[in-house]
Amino acid sequence: MAVTEDRRRITVRLTVLQIGVVVTFAALAIGFWFLQIVQHTQYEEMAENNHQRTLALRAPRGVLFDRNGKVLVENRHSFNISIVREHTKDLDRTIRLLAAVAGLDVEQLRQIVDPHRGEPTYRPIVVIEDASLAQVAAITARRLDFELPDVVVEEVPTRQYPTDALAAHLFGYVGEASEAQIGDGIKSGAIIGQSGVERVYNTLLMGQDGARRVVVNSVGREIRTEAEVPPTEGRRVQLTIDYDLQKAAEDGFKHAGFNGSALILDPRNGEVLSLVSLPAYDPNDFAAGIDRATWAALNSDALRPLQNRAIQGRYSPGSIFKIVVATAALEEGIVDPGFKVNCGGGATFFGRYFLCHLRGGHGVVDMRTAIEKSCNVYFYTLGNMLGVDRIHKWAEKLGLVGLTGIDLPNEQESLVPSTEWKRRRTGERWYPGETISVSIGQGQVTVTPASLAVMIATVANGGTRVTPHVIRAVDEGGGWKAATPPAVAERVAFRPDTLAALHDGLWMVVNAKGTGGRARIPGRDVAGKTGTAQVISIRGRQAARGSGLDLRDHGWFVFFAPKENPQIAGVIFGEHNEHGYLGAPIAKHVIETYFAKKDGQPLPTLGPKAAPVPVPGVDPDSVPRIDSQPIAAGVAQGTNAPGTN
Amino acid sequence: MFERRLYHHVDWGLLAAVLALCAIGLSQIYSATGGWTSIVETQIYGVLLGLIALVVCLSVDYRSLADKSHLIYLAVIALLIYVLFFGAVRGGSRRWIDLGEFNLQPSEFAKAALALVLAKFLGEGRRGAITYVDLLIVGALTAVPLIIVARQPDLGTAATLIPVAFGVAFVAGMPMRLLGILALAGLLAAPIAWQFALQDYQKERISTFMDPAQDARGAGYQQIQARITVGSGGPWGKGFTEGTQGQLRFLPVAHNDFIFSVLAEEQGFAGVIVTLGLYLFVILRALESARLSKDRLGAYLVLGVLASFTFQVIYNITMSAGLAPVKGLTLPLMSYGGSSMIATLAGFGLILNVRMRRFTN
Repeated sequence: MAVTEDRRRITVRLTVLQIGVVVTFAALAIGFWFLQIVQHTQYEEMAENNHQRTLALRAPRGVLFDRNGKVLVENRHSFNISIVREHTKDLDRTIRLLAAVAGLDVEQLRQIVDPHRGEPTYRPIVVIEDASLAQVAAITARRLDFELPDVVVEEVPTRQYPTDALAAHLFGYVGEASEAQIGDGIKSGAIIGQSGVERVYNTLLMGQDGARRVVVNSVGREIRTEAEVPPTEGRRVQLTIDYDLQKAAEDGFKHAGFNGSALILDPRNGEVLSLVSLPAYDPNDFAAGIDRATWAALNSDALRPLQNRAIQGRYSPGSIFKIVVATAALEEGIVDPGFKVNCGGGATFFGRYFLCHLRGGHGVVDMRTAIEKSCNVYFYTLGNMLGVDRIHKWAEKLGLVGLTGIDLPNEQESLVPSTEWKRRRTGERWYPGETISVSIGQGQVTVTPASLAVMIATVANGGTRVTPHVIRAVDEGGGWKAATPPAVAERVAFRPDTLAALHDGLWMVVNAKGTGGRARIPGRDVAGKTGTAQVISIRGRQAARGSGLDLRDHGWFVFFAPKENPQIAGVIFGEHNEHGYLGAPIAKHVIETYFAKKDGQPLPTLGPKAAPVPVPGVDPDSVPRIDSQPIAAGVAQGTNAPGTN
Repeated sequence: MFERRLYHHVDWGLLAAVLALCAIGLSQIYSATGGWTSIVETQIYGVLLGLIALVVCLSVDYRSLADKSHLIYLAVIALLIYVLFFGAVRGGSRRWIDLGEFNLQPSEFAKAALALVLAKFLGEGRRGAITYVDLLIVGALTAVPLIIVARQPDLGTAATLIPVAFGVAFVAGMPMRLLGILALAGLLAAPIAWQFALQDYQKERISTFMDPAQDARGAGYQQIQARITVGSGGPWGKGFTEGTQGQLRFLPVAHNDFIFSVLAEEQGFAGVIVTLGLYLFVILRALESARLSKDRLGAYLVLGVLASFTFQVIYNITMSAGLAPVKGLTLPLMSYGGSSMIATLAGFGLILNVRMRRFTN
């Protein structure tokens, strides 16, 4: 009896256990069903994130060549060191260790990391840009020891510019895209052109970043590459710049010993052969991310090295403007080249006496001589006959109004006044007396070196206002394809006698008794004109005395060569060099280099630095500082203030 | 000793299922450890030695074994005490006897020994109903090895001794009322145990189980990774040796405690169902042996052996899916571990023994 009961109890309890086990296993199966079927997608994604990491492969930017195929800007390899926090347990520990290994300050490192703490952990935080090889070696060793598994060393292409900051303002610089620049193919953290050619042709040069998907293990070590999309290098771009002429111009400035700007172009098509702005910055400082101190120093430098003077500096053209007045008078048919004026050292207009720079006067001068001698009285007379609006009209045809349209960013507008301009600007009518100072490039006339380069090129080629440009050809992948040159801004065929008189006069400046003798090259028929840009009036000079500002005048030299069928033209702007003729040797060196290269001759070199030249008794370009010209003086001070003082 | 006719009563189905699980375990160890390594070889030796142990336990009549159970029990206790003082230390606990090539873990054998001694004690056919005195003795017999193992410390293995006692006591007619009271007492004792009995790392494991995200990089890490591992396997799995979680070591000790997670990742839900089915088959088949047993001793013995096996299987699989706190508890028959394999197969020898001898006197 007991045995049977025993059996029954055992059977019942075993059945309970059987049911219990079956139910439990069913519950387990349901649990797995939930994880593996219902929530599979979610967990699959988490598993992918766990072991896959996508690394950006930065595309090298397109290489820049000069017009002869010489490499100007290329790329080098640099190393970035980043922290990937995905598997970081203690970020502070990583920072401390990394600082010790890389020889950096912990606080500084923390400041770099802190702003990024809120970002997704898989996104690398770049802490050291362009790391030294010693740093790379030290960190790589620690990585292998698993001490710094969350620190990665990335090889990235970095822009390499020529040494000596050659053509810095032409090339511009690159930098990380700002918030406002993101979008339209530019992702956060992308390196894009921020200035110069780098910026204007960024789309061509940027290339397409690639990506590498790697498998990492639980401590973040890369196991293998799953997939790789190689980066596409940016387009190769050929510039119109000639390396040798660029160097010649910059050497010329160094040799002459002053800052300034130059823009030299081919007057036949507007191709820029050389663009100089001094002082310059070193674009290499920006290539791997500029440090705060350097950036602050560049920005606070009184000499404004970041400014591209060739297109952003605006100055009074001084005597250079006489070419415009001459062109206007001849083309408007007001005078012919034989028109003569007797210069007695000054003349009275509207009840005021305006001085010529030569006290004794030039005597009777015609157009050619007036240009050669830069006679103020002659051009006062022409200006008075023309009126300001016709001067403005021809200044515009020669490219001195508004923008030249050069393919570089942030060009400033040049200004030549007109009655309309003054009414709009001040609401006042134009006083004819103001025209007198405008006719010798004083008053409200302010122009960029680039616009003067266009002016002299237009005069050189006989009236075709070319648009200066720096891009020559682009390699879209199938070899060089010539870039479409910008349209000619305006085509005015000057009368032959206009052209002859202008060219003769300008030739005489250099080759006869004019002020441009230092640009004379036997057999090359260089034509040119000097000018002085008044930085400040006499009255202003007195007011500013002791302020420590450099108040010395700027000097101009515009030129073309040869006189017949000119092939090269340009402008040399010497900042505070006081005399326009001091720019002439720079032009000479460039022109000599140009022809030597063309003829296959060895390139000229500059001799030892010239001893300071004694200033001639009278500077023909020096501006008569007439205190009875309150309007002109005041404006001259005002307009010159930005950029020069 | 081993009569020829007994051969026909061996439960070949059960044995086949057990061996199939061993094979699945081996293949997943192969996958998780990255190929043919010494770990795989050790496990094969474990299986072979286990099969010898199984045959030995099968050959000797379980009743004779039960008669010697007190000796076996005492021998195991002696070994446990020895380990407590002279055992090899690994990972902060003293669990192993270093035998040169092989490390023996006596606590694994404590389960079978306890099952034998309890079955013998309660199975001696004197009376029908179980008394409170009997239960006290059962408790004492269980407590001795449990406390020693817990002091190694190896709480996981110590915990597997409790199901042995309950399993045997349950079929032996332990009053349901008492079961309820004990369950209630356990529930009430939990906060006290939390306060006084548990080590910090043990508390941490349990608290992170409640909320794994509170320490996603620390203790909760394994649990989150376990869920990711299982969940990412999907219906059909990533393929043999293709599991990223196990292969890239996002899951620690993948060949040991988390072998089932690796299986779930690589073989998917399909593989999980097959394996769960095999385990269920083994357990139900063993329960059937208990039902068929000629005497109470046999039934109790089967239950004693089976209880800790079932507990461990269910707990480990739940943990593998990240649904239970992480505890160093292996999956019998599949996880890496020679002692566990030998002890488990020896246990199945006993179960087969009971069924095989259901007609003998």
